[in-house]
Amino acid sequence: MLHDFSYAAPTAREELFSTLARHGKTAEVLSGGTDLLVNIRAGISTPLHVVDLKGVAELAELGFDATEGLSIGACVTVTRLLDDASVRKNYPLLIRAASELATHQLRNRATIVGNIVTASPCGDMSSPLLCYGADVEMASAAGTRRLPLQEFITGVKQTVIQPGEIVQRIIVPTTFCGGTGNYLKLKRIKGHDLGVVAVAMLRYGKKIRVAIGSAAPTPVLLPEFPSDATAETIKEAARAAISPIDDVRCTREYRSFMVEEFIDRLLKEVRA
Amino acid sequence: MKSIQVRINGDLYEREVRESKTLLHFLREDVGLTGTKEGCGAGECGACTIFMNGQTVNSCLVLAVEADGAELQTIEGEAGPNGELSPVQEAFARHHAVQCGFCTPGMVMTVRDLLQRNPRPTREQIIHGIESNFCRCTGYQQIVEAVLDVTGQLSDTEQEGLKYV
Repeated sequence: MLHDFSYAAPTAREELFSTLARHGKTAEVLSGGTDLLVNIRAGISTPLHVVDLKGVAELAELGFDATEGLSIGACVTVTRLLDDASVRKNYPLLIRAASELATHQLRNRATIVGNIVTASPCGDMSSPLLCYGADVEMASAAGTRRLPLQEFITGVKQTVIQPGEIVQRIIVPTTFCGGTGNYLKLKRIKGHDLGVVAVAMLRYGKKIRVAIGSAAPTPVLLPEFPSDATAETIKEAARAAISPIDDVRCTREYRSFMVEEFIDRLLKEVRA
Repeated sequence: MKSIQVRINGDLYEREVRESKTLLHFLREDVGLTGTKEGCGAGECGACTIFMNGQTVNSCLVLAVEADGAELQTIEGEAGPNGELSPVQEAFARHHAVQCGFCTPGMVMTVRDLLQRNPRPTREQIIHGIESNFCRCTGYQQIVEAVLDVTGQLSDTEQEGLKYV
């Protein structure tokens, strides 16, 4: 049984933001619920008020245009992203990572924005979104602000988001559309599991972009490499950027080893 | 308390529910449909799988109030009006894809969803398709065989073997 809280599902933006402003730190925002309800059940999160975003129609929008790029609204589920033809065509790494995220049932509820807001080091969507240079757009009663994803996540499950504020959408620019690459995720079992370590690599023209998950307090984006960079150059940059730990899922050594192994495999793939 | 209206297996229900009640507990405690099970309560095991507006969800991770206006299907709606088992249920029984039975309602929902999206899954696709549902008794082999059978993919030798099970 969950502790008692109030529930509101505003249908207008103004009502949403005034509700959030009124409740401040005592409110939690609900969209997919696949993290929030687990945390409430475990007593990690104890909101007095749960504010559901799904009543606001515009937050469920998913759209692509050639100028702005891909816009992923707060309530867009992982399944919807996976089924979207423009994402499949233009952002293959997002598809690769989204299909590795949890299970079919969870993907039907969990949202892409929620995966980022949870800010877990192992969040599957972070590394590919970093490779594509995604921005996060926040909104509150005070207005909107926009930050690059790497500035949005500040630590383990920490972000710059303030009480009363939501992430209303993620914007993925067209800069790297048409690039090729992959997302490799190490798991303990063949079935669904949190990533023990994960590497995303994107090759676009004469550039290679690499992001790494589960190897530091936040997902890490490496500096951009020329497409003829050696594996050793990329590995050296990776070693300097990550700070893996020993935990219940894996040792520090194995994480470091697999990051380099994945870099080798991905380089082979993007150069094939 | 909030008032919600949901259609479950074709029947309309209107109830007052506590805002913090999960859809799973609403089904079991308020509606009395106890076929849907609570395993982990955290979206790991799939025992609470139901259909919500045509998609499978972990009902332990949905609030009942979020289901206001939704169409739900649970294991109670799987058999026909006179209790005749669905093809998936028949195959589960035939292959002993059930031991303690706790995972079965969720597993049947998941298999039905898999077959709606992919009517003739390969063995690999079946294994991947049921990764969301834990079974601690069967070792999954009988479940996979049941799905192969219901999709007409068991070889004659495998069919023959069933006589001695």
